[in-house]
Amino acid sequence: MTALATDRTIHSPWLGDIAVNAECELYFPGGLPGFEDHHLMAPIEIPSHRPLVYLQSLERDDLCFVSLPVYVIDPAFQLHLGEDDRAMLCLPDGCEPAIGSDVLCLVLLRKSGPVVEANPAAAVIINLHNRRGVQCVPPIGDTAAICRLGSDGRWRRVC
Amino acid sequence: MLVLRRRIGECIAIGGGIEIEVVGISRTRVKLGVTAPRNVQVIRKEVIPVAAENRQAAELVAAGPEGVMETLRLMGVIAGRG
Repeated sequence: MTALATDRTIHSPWLGDIAVNAECELYFPGGLPGFEDHHLMAPIEIPSHRPLVYLQSLERDDLCFVSLPVYVIDPAFQLHLGEDDRAMLCLPDGCEPAIGSDVLCLVLLRKSGPVVEANPAAAVIINLHNRRGVQCVPPIGDTAAICRLGSDGRWRRVC
Repeated sequence: MLVLRRRIGECIAIGGGIEIEVVGISRTRVKLGVTAPRNVQVIRKEVIPVAAENRQAAELVAAGPEGVMETLRLMGVIAGRG
């Protein structure tokens, strides 16, 4: 009953009209770097586009990121959350969240010239228990994790 | 580089209404409080390259569906791979 009242429709110029259930809303207390004023997003999956996940802003119709689950890009990825990120996600002290059951780790894709790149070290982490999100920020100059999508469909580290 | 020694609760005034206070110190970290005018952006320096990456990421869809479709083709999700 009340869920219907809090559903909203996004008029995305890229994905069309999307009805977003309030239970799907993700809350980023600090936004994403470069988009600090945008706190609400929704993960959108299009079956024919799997495993892509679109992260659609619920505050700006034309703001949408394309992402992939981190293991698609880097099967050896290990999650290391800093103290501040853990606090943002409201993770209990000493809790080592499991990817998939406790947290979702998505990596934003971007075009760098003609190639598609992604940086698993800057993964977007979503606490599946409270739908709070934060983006990891690697140390300056740490580009070791950046991966590039090859013409054979495989992801490879740039460095 | 100007190096100053400060204790907890002590401040540095930079000018332009910007002040930095040492709020806490642990073994390996210093907690700083920054007071600045609203139009002054205060961020951790390492956030800057991630913000630039994110702005690029936002353009992948904004440039139209071609970039996404090309990504999907490369990944072999849709026909026309390679």
